[in-house]
Amino acid sequence: MSHLRREIVKVLFQRRTYVGWVGLLAIPFIMTLALRLSSDQPPHGEGPPFFSSIAGNGLFVPLAALAFLSFFLLPLVSSMTGSFVIAGEAETGTLKTLLTRPVGRGGVLLAKWFVAILYVAVGLALVGLGGAVAGGLVFGFHPLTTLSGGQVGVAHALGLIALAYLIGLAGMACIVSLAVALSTLTDSSLTAAVATLVIVLVLEALGQFSYFDFLKPYLFTARFEDWFNLLRQPIPWRPIWEALLVYGGSVIVLVTLALGVFRRKDILS
Amino acid sequence: MSETAPLTADGRRPAPEAGAGRRVVLSTHQLTKDFKGLRAVDHLDLSVCEGDVFGFLGPNGAGKTTTIRMILGLIYPTEGYAQILDHRVPDQRLDALRHVGGFVDVPAFYNSMSARRNLRMLGRMSGEVSEARIDEVLDMVGLSERGDSRVGSYSHGMRQRLGIAQALIHRPALVILDEPTSGLDPQGMKDVRELVRELGRQGTTVFLSSHLLHEVEQVCNRAVIMNKGRIVVQGPVSELRPARMWVKVLTGDQPRAAEVLRRLLGPGDVTDGGEYLRVAAGDGLVPEMVRRLVAAGIDVRAVVPAVEQGLEDFFLELTGDSAEASQETERPHDPSEATP
Repeated sequence: MSHLRREIVKVLFQRRTYVGWVGLLAIPFIMTLALRLSSDQPPHGEGPPFFSSIAGNGLFVPLAALAFLSFFLLPLVSSMTGSFVIAGEAETGTLKTLLTRPVGRGGVLLAKWFVAILYVAVGLALVGLGGAVAGGLVFGFHPLTTLSGGQVGVAHALGLIALAYLIGLAGMACIVSLAVALSTLTDSSLTAAVATLVIVLVLEALGQFSYFDFLKPYLFTARFEDWFNLLRQPIPWRPIWEALLVYGGSVIVLVTLALGVFRRKDILS
Repeated sequence: MSETAPLTADGRRPAPEAGAGRRVVLSTHQLTKDFKGLRAVDHLDLSVCEGDVFGFLGPNGAGKTTTIRMILGLIYPTEGYAQILDHRVPDQRLDALRHVGGFVDVPAFYNSMSARRNLRMLGRMSGEVSEARIDEVLDMVGLSERGDSRVGSYSHGMRQRLGIAQALIHRPALVILDEPTSGLDPQGMKDVRELVRELGRQGTTVFLSSHLLHEVEQVCNRAVIMNKGRIVVQGPVSELRPARMWVKVLTGDQPRAAEVLRRLLGPGDVTDGGEYLRVAAGDGLVPEMVRRLVAAGIDVRAVVPAVEQGLEDFFLELTGDSAEASQETERPHDPSEATP
């Protein structure tokens, strides 16, 4: 617990923490404002998923924001957050300050990893809440039209939105874990962040080619849209559980790798 | 902490006998580190006893910082191990680090936090730390008035001082300081040296890495000189001097004085330096020289060191081109300390 408390305090004392959260919070408000003011809205069925539905129902705003951010901005934030975990502290020299204290390297790494995920979770929560507030204020809340054509009530829809965000967070946890693993291999957080993004893009590209279909069930990047299934009636839970299984497996493998490297790493910077 | 040896009149601790009834706080045993085929530290054996203010000297690239990193468990040795009290590093790193405070290279902190919060956070990693103790160490390093300022606003010198404060916060048995006066102004250097001396007086064992040899002469009682990853010499600082020192002698009758001194010391040890006679004489020979001259009715006007040949010259003499011959020049204080 002391590791966690220390890492949380450190994150809360960093200015960039709040810059990142404010930036994420601004996205749903900007989206809502742009749509409200736009006279040239995309026709139904075009543009990013749910985008065309925003104008009619505030409940779509947090879902659209999640879909919009999941493609690039959230992976970017996740990779940057994860990459700072070890490499960033090595850059600033504080890693050696920490490790000259009687603390286990494994505990330090796990606490940092957890707090990085917590940071992304708070960012996602701000997007969701910001989307709900902005959408509610501008468009009001109405029963949600699902992808299957049916409708669910406002309370049920809010539950589905919360679940969608949790699944989105699980996907981002994979990227954070990948970035943490890479950050144990370098003393440059920028290198770790860029490497993470490159790997995510390559994995996403692999998922696009039928030749690599045999890999698809194991790629966490191929599961980022699986939460859309929550908006079908009845909800097909199998792909959602499969996605969570892939996410969980990826996180375990990546964190184990990070622990293995970090425990034997020579701290030279 | 056990009782330590009494201080001399100038506040320095007399050279202790390594291992003579005193507990060994830090030792290294065949400690070796290779980096991609390059041997940075080569089978290093040293021991630091309780109460020592131990100088760790060497030119850049000698392997000092690599050694400290291994002692602190930051890097893994290729061979050998370090031992802090009864705990081996790296195998028992956590137990060992409970007894150590220190820093390596430039001390680094969380810039967005105050010095006080940094100390609180780092101190708690080694056990409970009271606010009174934080105040005390801030006061010791002269940062009381800036304790609540963000470390990001600190100068290099203030960071160095804060580095010492964080090393002391949990009252460790062993304090390891890597070039603590690096980048400080003269007053800052003086303050830090005085602080290290004070730690020694209080019985704290200090392991001080430095390339400033006069600094080691001023504050340490024992020292190791290291070059190219190997120990060149180790022992009490007072013994890390050339056996012979040159003095300049001015008398009322230089030719007769030269004759008297040549009889005493031998012809090769007295040369005509123009206005002065240049005489090779150890510290113990100067009084006898003066007595002989006076007994011969010669008016002695001055006896001054011909060259200020202290540890610095000795260090250059040893490390200049003698790395290969390091084993030959080794002058361990205690046979058990001899490097293999």
